[in-house]
Amino acid sequence: MNEAVKAAINLHALLRNMEDLCQLDEASANAIRGHEAAIRFSVPGIDRLVLTFHDGQCSARRGENIPCDMNLRFSSPEHLNLMVAGEKNPLPTKGFRHIGFLKKTFTFLAGQLESYLKPDRERIKKEQGFLEKSTILTAYTAFFAVPEISRYDETGQRIAGKMEEGIVNVTVGDDFGLHLIAEKGSLRAAKGRNANARAAMMFDSFETAFGLLNGDLDSYTCIGKGNIAMRGRIPMIDSLDKLLGMVPRFLS
Amino acid sequence: MQLYQYPKSNALFDRAAKVIPAGVPGHLGPAAGCFIPVSAYPIFCETAKGAHFWDVDGNRFIDYMCAYGPNILGYNHPEVDAAARAQMEKSNCTTVPSPLMIELAELLVDTVDSADWAMFAKNGGDVTNLAMLTARAATGRKKIIKFKGGYHGILPWMLDAGYPGVLLEDVENTITIPFNSIELFKRVLEEYRGDIAGVISTPYDHQAFYENHLPEPGFWNDVRQLCTANGIVLILDDVRCGFRLDVRGSDHYYGFRADLICFCKALANGYNISALCGDASLRPSISSVFATGSYWLSAVPIAAAIRCIEIMREINAPEVMKKTGEKFAEGLTEAARQHGFEFRVTGEKAMPFLTLGDDDSSVLLQEWVAEMVMRGVFLANHHNHFMNCAMGEEDLVYTFEAAHEAFEAVRKRHPEMYR
Repeated sequence: MNEAVKAAINLHALLRNMEDLCQLDEASANAIRGHEAAIRFSVPGIDRLVLTFHDGQCSARRGENIPCDMNLRFSSPEHLNLMVAGEKNPLPTKGFRHIGFLKKTFTFLAGQLESYLKPDRERIKKEQGFLEKSTILTAYTAFFAVPEISRYDETGQRIAGKMEEGIVNVTVGDDFGLHLIAEKGSLRAAKGRNANARAAMMFDSFETAFGLLNGDLDSYTCIGKGNIAMRGRIPMIDSLDKLLGMVPRFLS
Repeated sequence: MQLYQYPKSNALFDRAAKVIPAGVPGHLGPAAGCFIPVSAYPIFCETAKGAHFWDVDGNRFIDYMCAYGPNILGYNHPEVDAAARAQMEKSNCTTVPSPLMIELAELLVDTVDSADWAMFAKNGGDVTNLAMLTARAATGRKKIIKFKGGYHGILPWMLDAGYPGVLLEDVENTITIPFNSIELFKRVLEEYRGDIAGVISTPYDHQAFYENHLPEPGFWNDVRQLCTANGIVLILDDVRCGFRLDVRGSDHYYGFRADLICFCKALANGYNISALCGDASLRPSISSVFATGSYWLSAVPIAAAIRCIEIMREINAPEVMKKTGEKFAEGLTEAARQHGFEFRVTGEKAMPFLTLGDDDSSVLLQEWVAEMVMRGVFLANHHNHFMNCAMGEEDLVYTFEAAHEAFEAVRKRHPEMYR
């Protein structure tokens, strides 16, 4: 296991999801209301992540010089991965006044996120809208993990290095979209569909996207049945599919 | 023209998907076959004859994909099938082989310019792999050079890391460089001096999804000379082009002599057999390579291959397909022009690859091909096509009529093109 790849995914795909969790999940939105904090995750060799909680919203930003009032330092990528697995704690080096927020609210948010990413199948049947929220958060996790694999994993670098440049849209019906930008051998993920895409992977429903992202369905059969449609530069989708197929090995 | 629909195909796909992963796996299936949109395409065939197949819904198609190459004389060719049936009456898969295999080897040695011997297998990938093993056995070296986009089968060394199940270690001895770049080829030979066992290539760059490129003048001559000078085995993967460009081999067509040449697809007009032919100097090496398979020496496909090669020689099959391909390209180009499209045909005439101008994303091509398929002309939006010897003038006329309708349908969908 390449711990750096896993740590990058944990930061920039999994924890990045806090931003969307706090929009989609009412309990999470309520939990952060009134809290003002900017928490930085510092992991050696990996771009830093800052989660800013402000005015009842959470935003995730990547980079070196983003202001924060709490710094969580990790001694290694493995240290971060163990924290995500619940087996180790971070080392706060700044912002001790937010320890309470970290221990209580952030831990609550992490639990909420896990409930969407490891969904209870009974809850899907019973709770209206749960499948859609679970699918959106899982899709963000998976597709935002793709650039990290293309950046930190040797095979991922090889695939991305050969990928045609341009934008690939990933959509679920008319309700949800994200896109990936391939440029100079690297990838970026962004929310929303892009009008200038050279290729598109289109899920006909949240049920199909959920099934595929949770390993219940395979894309080849879905394409044959018309539940997933491809359009445009297929080699781009093929590269994306290979990278996407590598995501589960880094997400426990 | 009435647009086709496929209720029986779709119902069968649902049934297939329950018991067969991907429903129809591989390049004949809707995913790898790039059926875009899938609703435009038939999925299952009922019967085939000559240049046509009929799907399970009773729709007839002029088939310009020819099962991706095997159909060269026409589906269900009476003489090839008769030869196969006659052998079936005698024997097929037996404990010791039929002497017919000697006859086929003799015929290949007599037909193919670079063949001093022939070995038989089943699929193209069997013989490209056998060629790689032979090159390593002959040279005692590890590395194989291949050209970008070149497809040589599905074994790990032929693919790339990132394909599910393929490791970086599987491809660490494969060096990939662009086709037609002799300077880069020289640099790689220098960098890996003494390590390169073989060079494997298709006769020209006929990769999927990209415009195809013929060899630059002098390219093959230079590659041949450099391989000889450096003790490298030159392997021609003629699986796709074999017998479509020249019955004497595509190396002969382009004016050089390969050390090893791989055939499959058109070899037996659809019967399952492949062949590796080669230079006499490699006979000891290939004899030492452990190579065998349950059905590799089955007699029925051998009988079919013999009759198929005889007919291809008798009618000069490559010339027939070249002329058909020229008319195909001219007719479609003119139809496109009349509807305001730029139509580009690349590659060899018998194996044309189609693209449209002003179509960076390939969406226009995908739409046009789908319209053609729904009108009974089976084309591909991602792969070179294949002419066959059964295609007649009436097939071309029908194809061009369909093309006019299909281009008009695409134009109507894209009003921005009316400028």
